[in-house]
Amino acid sequence: MTPVITLNFVDYLILAAYVVITIVVGYSLKKYMKTSEDFFLSGRSLPSWITSLAFLSANLGALEVIGMVANSAKYGMLTVHFYWIGAIPAMIFLGLFMMPFYYSTKVRSVPEYLKLRYNEATRGLNAISFAIMTLLMSGISMYAMALLFELTLGWSLTSSILLSAIVVLIYVFFGGLSSSIYNEVIQFFLIWLGLLPIVYIGLHAVGGIAGLMQRVPPSFFHAWQHMGSASDNPMGVDWLGVVIGLGFVLSFGYWTTDFLVVQRAMASEDLAAAQRTPLVASFPKMLVPIIVVIPGLLAVALLPQFKVVPGGPTPDYNSALILMFAHYLPNGVLGLAITGLLASFMSGMAGNVTAFNTVWTYDIYGSYIKKDMPDAHYLKMGKYTTVVGVIVSIGTAYIVSSFPNLMDYMQLLFSFFNAPLFATFLLGMFWKKTTPWAGFWGLLAGILAAAFHYFVLYHGGKVHYPSEMAANFYQAWWAWCVDFVVTVVVSFFTRKKEENLLVGLVYGLTPKTHSEERFFKKPAFWGVLSLAVMVALNIIFW
Amino acid sequence: MITPENRKHFFDLKIPLGTLLSFYGIVLLVYGAFGPKSIYAKSLNIDVNLIWGIVMLIVGTAFLSVAFFGKRKAR
Repeated sequence: MTPVITLNFVDYLILAAYVVITIVVGYSLKKYMKTSEDFFLSGRSLPSWITSLAFLSANLGALEVIGMVANSAKYGMLTVHFYWIGAIPAMIFLGLFMMPFYYSTKVRSVPEYLKLRYNEATRGLNAISFAIMTLLMSGISMYAMALLFELTLGWSLTSSILLSAIVVLIYVFFGGLSSSIYNEVIQFFLIWLGLLPIVYIGLHAVGGIAGLMQRVPPSFFHAWQHMGSASDNPMGVDWLGVVIGLGFVLSFGYWTTDFLVVQRAMASEDLAAAQRTPLVASFPKMLVPIIVVIPGLLAVALLPQFKVVPGGPTPDYNSALILMFAHYLPNGVLGLAITGLLASFMSGMAGNVTAFNTVWTYDIYGSYIKKDMPDAHYLKMGKYTTVVGVIVSIGTAYIVSSFPNLMDYMQLLFSFFNAPLFATFLLGMFWKKTTPWAGFWGLLAGILAAAFHYFVLYHGGKVHYPSEMAANFYQAWWAWCVDFVVTVVVSFFTRKKEENLLVGLVYGLTPKTHSEERFFKKPAFWGVLSLAVMVALNIIFW
Repeated sequence: MITPENRKHFFDLKIPLGTLLSFYGIVLLVYGAFGPKSIYAKSLNIDVNLIWGIVMLIVGTAFLSVAFFGKRKAR
């Protein structure tokens, strides 16, 4: 297959400038890396505008952009559920209610919180499952990038995997989390500036929003109107599945307990900045559909291969964004768009690698393999783990190449590991009677329930859902329920932790702090505002 | 450990970010103004490089000036 996009020297100049600047930024951070906290937590010194944009970008990776444009071409506006109800309430909850426990206790990772609140076993279970999942995700990012470059530039899979791996390795090795975060902020601007030209030209070509509405099926412009039952909408999910599966379990499980995103907030300079991190990030999050949903809809309206013909072949939706680039972007802005994607691929991978090396060094190596070593030892360990993490990611990149729909695969992973975890955190933070072993057994039961549902019930043909996505949403919900019930039941039969060990970790045992800040600096103000905007958007696009 | 001395010790991200975006702005602007015009057949005859070059140059210099004047104010 011949490449659909031909880059010229201007495009390559833009691409090269990005690679150079990321390496320069990473290398310049090298001299600041004196302790392990500098390397893994940016010395807890970053202002909230930086951590907020990084918090958002950490999730705006390869799959996010390409997968969500594909989803939009396939399902239309229904895709906004991943950005609004499937993200905003959870981000607000994290900022207002959970961040104080994460930040004030000075824990260095999500598994470390579990160790303090529950016990060593709970931490181990979470740390190991997180480490595995993170490397899988990293491999997915690499594979997606390599595939894209094979299609567009004609580069071989192996050469683009090696190029991105080496660049990421260099900048994470020198600058740790700070490198990752700085690159995520750069990526945030590049992805917006790179994708807006296609929105602008595409809308021009189709005759504005009004013209776009005429050329796509009417249901593509409504977020909720066709959600009454699963058979009424192309996604095959009903409103209840979206609300409890995506909006509650998957979204809260991801945004509030996934260390990849929480780590960005932990790097903030103080508690108020840590709380503002997800709250401020929620506003640009709500706008992301502009650069992913609109290009997806434009592809359906403008490109003949995305017209669905009954009985015809299924279009390759994952190529929607690239084909839009190929048809409408001249060299120059084309290079910028490709650079935006490259940046989101690389920083997605770097994010996974930094989260992985933190959890590995503090929660696995530093807790089970070599305890109580001098700090310099762990700093060195973190740097070498970066190398190992990158090598393992390369391996996983080749494994994921056999899965057809990347987005569903990602949801599948989330529902195995992340969905039950939110029940463990919710009970741990807000119910002081939850016992250490209840945390462990609840979490294990939740993960097993998800696996059992997937392999035995769903794939064994015992239960049926209208679509793969509906199966994922409901699976997350049931895994969460199993975790919740098992945790509560086991709490009645096992020994409680002494209350003085839970101060600062559990709601009700933690003294409330009163701040004298003005209202616009208060987290609650931002939380309420964000929620109001989200509700308004859902009503407008009902 | 976090001590007052080593807090806020990283360099200002606005500088490399502003530099990169300004550089992109100049490259696109120059290419849009002096490069071949035939490539804009794709983009409905809109010289999108010129327009977008100006936008990026504005964003990039905005970052650089905030970094520069902000620092002076702090002193």
